[in-house]
Amino acid sequence: MISSTTMAKRAAPALACIGLLAVWQVASLVLKSDSFPTAIEAIRAIPDILGDRESLINILASLRRMAIGFSIAVLVSMPLGLLMGRSRAVAAFFNPLLMVIYPVPKAALMPIIMLWLGVGDITKTLVIFLGVSLPVIYHSFEGAKAVEEKMLWSGAAMGLSPLQRLVRIVLPAALPEILTGCRTGLVLALITMITSEMIARQSGAGNILFNALDMGQYDTVYAMIIIVGAMGICLDAVFERVRARLVRWSEPQFDLPLSFS
Amino acid sequence: MKVVPSRLSEWVRPVTLQQPACAIIEIERVSQVFQTSARKDHLALSDISLTIDEGAFVSILGPSGCGKSTLLYIVGGFVNPSSGAAKMKGQAITGPGPDRGPVFQEFALFPWKTVLGNVMYGPRQQGVRTNEAEAQSRALIEMVGLKGYENFYPKELSGGMKQRVALARTLAYHPEVLLMDEPFGALDAHTRTRLQNDLLNIWERDRKTVLFVTHSVDEAVFLSDKVVMMSKSPGRIRQVIDIDLPRPRRRNELLLDPRYQKYVVDIERMFDESDEAGSPS
Ligand SMILES: Nc1ncnc2c1ncn2[C@@H]1O[C@H](COP(=O)(O)OP(=O)(O)OP(=O)(O)O)[C@@H](O)[C@H]1O
Ligand SMILES: [Mg+2]
Repeated sequence: MISSTTMAKRAAPALACIGLLAVWQVASLVLKSDSFPTAIEAIRAIPDILGDRESLINILASLRRMAIGFSIAVLVSMPLGLLMGRSRAVAAFFNPLLMVIYPVPKAALMPIIMLWLGVGDITKTLVIFLGVSLPVIYHSFEGAKAVEEKMLWSGAAMGLSPLQRLVRIVLPAALPEILTGCRTGLVLALITMITSEMIARQSGAGNILFNALDMGQYDTVYAMIIIVGAMGICLDAVFERVRARLVRWSEPQFDLPLSFS
Repeated sequence: MKVVPSRLSEWVRPVTLQQPACAIIEIERVSQVFQTSARKDHLALSDISLTIDEGAFVSILGPSGCGKSTLLYIVGGFVNPSSGAAKMKGQAITGPGPDRGPVFQEFALFPWKTVLGNVMYGPRQQGVRTNEAEAQSRALIEMVGLKGYENFYPKELSGGMKQRVALARTLAYHPEVLLMDEPFGALDAHTRTRLQNDLLNIWERDRKTVLFVTHSVDEAVFLSDKVVMMSKSPGRIRQVIDIDLPRPRRRNELLLDPRYQKYVVDIERMFDESDEAGSPS
């Protein structure tokens, strides 16, 4: 039996989407502007984009860059954050560096990176990497710092070496916090992915979007926005499922405000 | 009311094996200074010397903040003393090791492991095969009264249950010395009594050396061979009292035993005196 509250909970995101589309539809009918197609027109353009071989290749290339940038960022940033959280020396070394990088919009670095590495995959993946790294480092750092010292002492008494303690105690203990960082990182990966393709216009989902804009194909522009948004929502929902599974053991947390699962 | 049990205890009094007492832990002139945030040095322990014999049950008794936990951490090797040294079997203690098993005031269970996973952690780390470690751990979990809770996560347990898991987790890797920091402090009276009895049974069976921190006078007298009384600011040893009561000890017999009552009353009086002496001037 599903109670009415859980049903309402599940239906809420769908209702919100439908509501948004309805407002859009009405607004565009009222405004009657060429550059503001109706929601139905935009949705109708979606199959054309997804049916087009070249567009599909572009979108998949975007997703591939995003996956690679995100994965490398997590693999590098998580250990770094954990080390920073447990070692004052490591934190003292990296903190100033990160403080400088933190407020800089990663996309603003793109022109420089493009000068060095061209407009290809490496540049875009690097920007995604930078975008994802900071939240993952930050949350891993906070998670590692908060690990109860007596837990590490218990491990030491059982004979765990410092490295074993980092991997087998700090890592699992900080996992809920790390995954919160990864979730933020995932959304940032999507944002930096589109931004990078918008600056280095050569391929990708962002490229389709801005090319369509240049050519005045507004229904395609809006369709792409819907596609990218849907990708974000799906990725986040899948990630949230995985996250919830991995940290079933942890204290119940309040749902993050941006939860579509 | 029957008073027979108290007499009976005389009958079942075991022959105490008078083997030559052998020091397992020596604490030599240990002092501990902490830097407080007010940039003042705070003397938490002052010139502590104490010898603990192998197989002895020693309680450290003292008011809150007198440095009991700190002393235990020094013996555990988790904290290096500012001066002086602690030794285990003649060897200077330089860090933690599986020969000294802590049970912390805060439990410090691994929240991502189930009860069974927590208890198995030490034996697995020591290279005991999984099957064997699991069998031993299940037996230990049953012994501390948590049969049926093997697959529960710590967040699903009550405070007293967590405490029992913490005890089982430490016992699982067979430390020679148990370092217990107010292990029963957070428990209700009933569970507390049960666990005291269980601990005594375990101890009487395999005669581990136990260093037991508490601020309960009757708990200290009930369990210990020796009670170390500490006083506050700075933390010092005020007196060491040998508890000469027969073993195995039964709570219901002991409570009626005038010798037990005298120990409790005497130590409580000393406690009050030290409170007056130790109050801030
Ligand atoms: N890491 C630390 N930094 C600064 N001061 C500390 C630190 N640890 C303990 N102290 C101080 O040392 C003193 C002794 O602390 P400790 O925790 O050993 O007391 P305790 O006897 O175990 O008290 P309780 O019975 O409340 O657990 C206290 O005054 C405390 O403020
Ligand atoms: Mg304490």
